[in-house]
Amino acid sequence: MTNFEKYKKSFSDSFEVEESVVETLKYESIPAWDSVGHMVLVAALEATFDIMLEMDDIIDFSGFERGKEILEGYDVVF
Amino acid sequence: MLTNKTALITGSNRGIGFSILENFAKQGCNIYAHSRRDSDEFKIRTKEIALKYGVKIDHISFDLRNSNDMREAIMSIIKSKTPVDILVNSAGIIHGGLFQMTPVSDIRDVFDINFFGMLEITQLLSRYMVRNKKGSIVNIASVAGIDLSAGNSAYGVSKAAVIAFSKTLSDELSKYGIRVNAIAPSLTNTDMAHTSEAKKERELMSMSTNGPFERMAGPNEIADLVSFLASDNSSFINGQVIRIDGGNKF
Repeated sequence: MTNFEKYKKSFSDSFEVEESVVETLKYESIPAWDSVGHMVLVAALEATFDIMLEMDDIIDFSGFERGKEILEGYDVVF
Repeated sequence: MLTNKTALITGSNRGIGFSILENFAKQGCNIYAHSRRDSDEFKIRTKEIALKYGVKIDHISFDLRNSNDMREAIMSIIKSKTPVDILVNSAGIIHGGLFQMTPVSDIRDVFDINFFGMLEITQLLSRYMVRNKKGSIVNIASVAGIDLSAGNSAYGVSKAAVIAFSKTLSDELSKYGIRVNAIAPSLTNTDMAHTSEAKKERELMSMSTNGPFERMAGPNEIADLVSFLASDNSSFINGQVIRIDGGNKF
């Protein structure tokens, strides 16, 4: 599985949505992506990519695309 | 009660923290034993305990005021892929003295360890615990944080903050299946209890005639309560502060 596929799967698993919709997702754009869901996503991404996100990045993680940029800062190559 | 679970215990090299470590090991719990500094003596003691009870005890050392070292240590735990079921925040320092005779810098020092250090390690480790959707966090507060008698602007107020934090965190983490409770021991018979900082409490203890148990708590008694709260035997206890003081009033 590529990193991009793993990234999409993290969203899909965390929010229990189809992978086909994850690329449009932003924080609070769906009920599942509230603050509780946000921490579930963070936990999933940290587990998947073996990283520990800085608090500023957790707060800044506002959507699928922004998240990719943030993870690239942790040497995750998409 | 704790067979095959894994716990991280801060301040586990002495006092209440060490009693908790022994208690947990006896019950089959694997342990990440935190201390501020590496110590051969501590490693020898824990090796004996690990062999005696057939558990794994790994050491992690960092100063709770050092965010980078703390982060590195927690990252090493996460990379081990071993789920951590229990966090016991036992590390702390004592401080006594009237407010007007306490430099604010002393109060900040006490808060840095008793509250902010505890808060930071909890924030890092709870994110890992969230992945497993279960766990128990037990914070060692103090009756000083409830009674808040004179001389407690540093220690007592820091423990009051621990209590308040435990309650709010229990509300947040319950959504992930993680329970958070605090315990509030009275003066406990450890090295810390015999310091000059704790002298005033010892004097009050010797004057107490209000309770049937006119003595200091034993660290093993504290450890028994912590292990209960850490275990699934307390699965419906969440957001509580449990006082353990023999019924004594000061």
